Amino acid sequence: MSDKAPDAYEKVVDRLLASPQFGVKWARPWLDAARYADSHGFQRDDLRDLWAYRDWVVSALNADIPFDRFTIEQLAGDLLPNATQAQKIATGFNRSAPTNVEAGSDPEDTRVNQVFDRVNTLSTVWLGSTLECAQCHDHKYDPFSQKDYYRLFAFFNSTAIEADRANPKVPGSIKFLGPVMELNDPAADVARMKLQVELATVTKKLAARAEELHAPDAVWESATRKAVADSPREHLLEVTRFDSSGGATHEVLKDGSVLLSGDPPDKDTYTVTAKTNLVGIRGFKLEALTDSSLPGKGPGRGDAVRPNFVLNTFAVTVSKPDGKPSVVKLKAAKADFSQANMPVAGAIDADPKTAWAINPQFGKPHWAVFGTDAPLGFDGGAVFTFTLVQDYGGGRTIGRLRLSALTGGTDTAIPSKVSDALAVAAEKRTAAQQKAVLDYRQSQDAESTRLHAEQRRLEAGLVQVPTVKTLVMQELLAPRPTTVFKRGDFRAPGERVEPGTPGALHAFDPKAERNRLGLAKWLVSKDNPLTARVTVNRLWAELFGAGLVTTPEDFGAKGEPPTHPELLDWLACELQEPTPQAPLPEGKGEKSPAWSVKHLLRTIVLSSIYRQSARLTPDLRAKDPENRLLARGPRFRLDAEAIRDNALSIAGLLSPKLGGPPVRPPQPEGLWVKVGGERYDYVVSAGEDKYRRGLYVVWKRGAPYPGFVAFDGPARVACRVARPRTNTPLQALTLLNDPVYVEAALSFAKRVVTEKPDATTDDRIAHAFRLAVAREPGAKEVAVLKALFDAERDAMARTPAAAKQLVKDFAAPAKVPPAEFAAWYAVCVALLNLDETITKG
Amino acid sequence: MNALTATRRQFLRRSGLGFGSAALATLLEESPLACASGLLPKPHHAPKANRVIYLHMIGAPSHLDLFDHKPELKKRDGQECPEELLKGRRFAFIGGKLTLAGSPFKFAKHGKSGLELSELLPNLATVADHLALVKTVHTEEINHAPAQMFLRTGFGRGGRPAFGSWVAYGLGSESQNLPTYVVLLSGPLGGAGTALWGSGFLPSVYQGVQFRTTGDAVLHLGNPPGQSPEDRHRILDAIKRLNEEQLDAVGDPEIATRISQYELAFKMQTSVPDLMDISKEPKEVLESYGAQPGKGSFANNCLLARRLVERGARVVELYDADWDHHGAIATRLPAKCKDVDRGAAALIKDLKRLGMLDDTLVV
Repeated sequence: MSDKAPDAYEKVVDRLLASPQFGVKWARPWLDAARYADSHGFQRDDLRDLWAYRDWVVSALNADIPFDRFTIEQLAGDLLPNATQAQKIATGFNRSAPTNVEAGSDPEDTRVNQVFDRVNTLSTVWLGSTLECAQCHDHKYDPFSQKDYYRLFAFFNSTAIEADRANPKVPGSIKFLGPVMELNDPAADVARMKLQVELATVTKKLAARAEELHAPDAVWESATRKAVADSPREHLLEVTRFDSSGGATHEVLKDGSVLLSGDPPDKDTYTVTAKTNLVGIRGFKLEALTDSSLPGKGPGRGDAVRPNFVLNTFAVTVSKPDGKPSVVKLKAAKADFSQANMPVAGAIDADPKTAWAINPQFGKPHWAVFGTDAPLGFDGGAVFTFTLVQDYGGGRTIGRLRLSALTGGTDTAIPSKVSDALAVAAEKRTAAQQKAVLDYRQSQDAESTRLHAEQRRLEAGLVQVPTVKTLVMQELLAPRPTTVFKRGDFRAPGERVEPGTPGALHAFDPKAERNRLGLAKWLVSKDNPLTARVTVNRLWAELFGAGLVTTPEDFGAKGEPPTHPELLDWLACELQEPTPQAPLPEGKGEKSPAWSVKHLLRTIVLSSIYRQSARLTPDLRAKDPENRLLARGPRFRLDAEAIRDNALSIAGLLSPKLGGPPVRPPQPEGLWVKVGGERYDYVVSAGEDKYRRGLYVVWKRGAPYPGFVAFDGPARVACRVARPRTNTPLQALTLLNDPVYVEAALSFAKRVVTEKPDATTDDRIAHAFRLAVAREPGAKEVAVLKALFDAERDAMARTPAAAKQLVKDFAAPAKVPPAEFAAWYAVCVALLNLDETITKG
Repeated sequence: MNALTATRRQFLRRSGLGFGSAALATLLEESPLACASGLLPKPHHAPKANRVIYLHMIGAPSHLDLFDHKPELKKRDGQECPEELLKGRRFAFIGGKLTLAGSPFKFAKHGKSGLELSELLPNLATVADHLALVKTVHTEEINHAPAQMFLRTGFGRGGRPAFGSWVAYGLGSESQNLPTYVVLLSGPLGGAGTALWGSGFLPSVYQGVQFRTTGDAVLHLGNPPGQSPEDRHRILDAIKRLNEEQLDAVGDPEIATRISQYELAFKMQTSVPDLMDISKEPKEVLESYGAQPGKGSFANNCLLARRLVERGARVVELYDADWDHHGAIATRLPAKCKDVDRGAAALIKDLKRLGMLDDTLVV
């Protein structure tokens, strides 16, 4: 340190505590405990927005919100009087629980599992207890009864369901639900307001025009009636049987359409049977319709961004009831829209590869009409069987379809409900018939058509105004009754229980609310022997690599006893109520507030025990290999995110930007491929977002960022209060070959040569060494790197093509010869891979 | 761990948290207390299996059409399902009128044991005497992903170690230059995904390593373009020397581990491509599996499984996609059986030929 003042170390500590990056660093372990992720987990594993909660944690840590408030707001912010938006965002802590929306899963099972998860997380994070053992039976080692467990369960049992069937009759139609809060965004509000005003005007105009068109118009009616007589007509076909070869479930809706549900199979063939008494059928109309239950509204089932379908074959057979089916010859296919390379004719030709598709007209209904060679139908009825082959793959199948028969021809037909209504005298029409006539009249009216288009444009604009949403907790008006579950099985309810806390621990304040708020206050009560100790132990473990209790998840009988019980107790008291003579944070002259995490961290890192050398002598190694007795300072590998942050920082690439939606650094292709749910293309973030800190990297539970997995990043499917610290060959391969680290090494090399333009090789090496490990190199260390530099420069000079290939698109400094730059690259790779670079201490 | 002070509690704890040190096998060999403490009584039979190859058909093949002959069902094909079979049961997707479906395929007895197999598995039938069918496996999970999790981890949801992780953890590594637990895929991965070979609460070093069948078999296995093996060697040499300096100065044994892991990584850069290159296998071996170099097929994966266990892998899992057939049994099942029947049978014969079938479980 260049500052030689006696309090130089303290000043650095205070600067780091005040840095906005403090919250980013300390949010990481807390978000592991909160099992925060950007997807909802399980097979579907779709993304959903919860990052506002992650940002709340960062800012709460930066503001040093006292840990008791930090606790209360996350567990029960929504129940505080006049809860602010931030306090509600904080309840995202418990909405992080994974949600199963797999087709066919039992919503109640999912809900109960989420409540289990909330109870277990609470018990690990605040009580350091393995309470989950009491889910099925009384705890075998600690004084918790099964009833205690379900009394805690009752506190969390009264929030809305978060996954349920979109259609109660269809087990496959599970949807992700639960309370979502829109966040304030003034700019978006203004834009939205403007569109809403315009939309209201257009809607008013449309209504006025409809009023005009609703007035009886004998001339129009007689002309239309005549047109009906001369024109083709549509007749909805009643579906009697529907099969999906891919095993999709379906439901026939009131309008005669068939809605598919369940996880979309890769490919599917529908077989649809319909009976009709019509004769003189000249064609068939296939409608591919939208529905709110389909991804991106459909009409395809594959994904929300491109809900296309690809209809390879549309074939029909006809038979008399109980007769033998014969193939119907189809011709003259036409459609309202066909994708450029996939015209509708492809669906009825002999080639199974050609097909009808509708890219890019997603999210809208489409139709196709196929003519028959000869009029079809029998007196006494005909049975039609339609086969819709959809072999493209990727779930490019129709999500909702309707079939009609056409009589009189295959030109644009007047729908049968219109012609039927027109056959009735105007004053005798039912409301539905009046509507049918009016709708048709509007569809023929230029002014209405124009207004409709305008309306659609504005509606689309409204959808595009970004709204930031986040998941929150919300109490039901009527609480759910809670019982013990025998053997932990939600299908085996036992004795009824009321919300309450374990009898072996301190009493619940009789004046406190018997809800999550009361529970949170109980956790941070001064009488609670556990919360402060458990919290202090986790902070200690983060600084020292292991806690004073080495089982941070278990302070019970099966856990390890503390190595320094008095120290643990003193620190716990210091967190709850700092002693007045303790050093003051950020140089302020007042006593540190209660429950101040920053104060506690400052106290620990200023201690002589933390400032010891990490050197391990043979004697110490023999006596205390795991440093339980703290005779030396901490030394352990950085966590996954910090390894990447550190490399990017050394390279001069790291972006310090805080907050916002998750980012996507480069990763190998194909890792996000999954079955079911939405499909996502992994698009690497642009600009500085690629170099944001690891905390902001998208956390997809089914496919976490592989660079983090290699260094023990968890999938965040459940609460974790400690990460293992492995040492594997895959870590070496990641640091040596992952394009992220290759780019970091190239940038590092550029930084070394541009920051020291006129320095000697030895000086540059020393500079690089300092950047990587923050100390001066020894003579031997310089010699090793110098030898590497010289050998690589010579080798690269002999193979200029390789040197060029190595640098490729990277903007290397023009003045440095390629072979020399490649040699600096090698030096920087070596430095980024040192054990010391990725190790604290 | 100091064996003299080891308590059962400490042992369990350290095994659970790991820190990459306490593998069961090592402990059993090294700790004089292991048997004395009665910690792990020996099973009633002599354990034989040293490695496992597990073949997983994603989507669940119909056992009624392959392994479990039901003549009565065939007789009643097309009849309505008797009420007593349905009472009080809950089904995920079935609704409306239910009819019984007998298998359209013929069954015959094979081998000395008279094992009944469907006509769809003619090659497997030739190794019938090496097969044991377990027909009692049952789960209450009604969906693919939870049922797969249950099968692979003993628990229908995430968070528990996979079977292979336990084996890797318990038996340790036999190989100096390959992972202990390897996963190979043919077709897209469905169901519960990569959680099927996750290490759950065991350290991540015990998770399965998926070898990809196209591109690098292991993520980031290849050097960046422009960096030759000689360049890499020079860089690794510098890293090693600097790490050794640090080891001298600080004395932390983790540094020694890191040095050896960098050496293993370097070896893997050649051993893994060598393993994956099946083109040098004799023609008749390739022919017996139906393997074709360069393809990502199940047949190739069977051959790779054999190469992996030969090189010391403990657990190899093969996942094959597209077995969720519903109404398409008649067409899709025979096609899929063709994909796997020959390779699976060849694998068993090949292991036998190499004398490895005695201590290798193929499931």
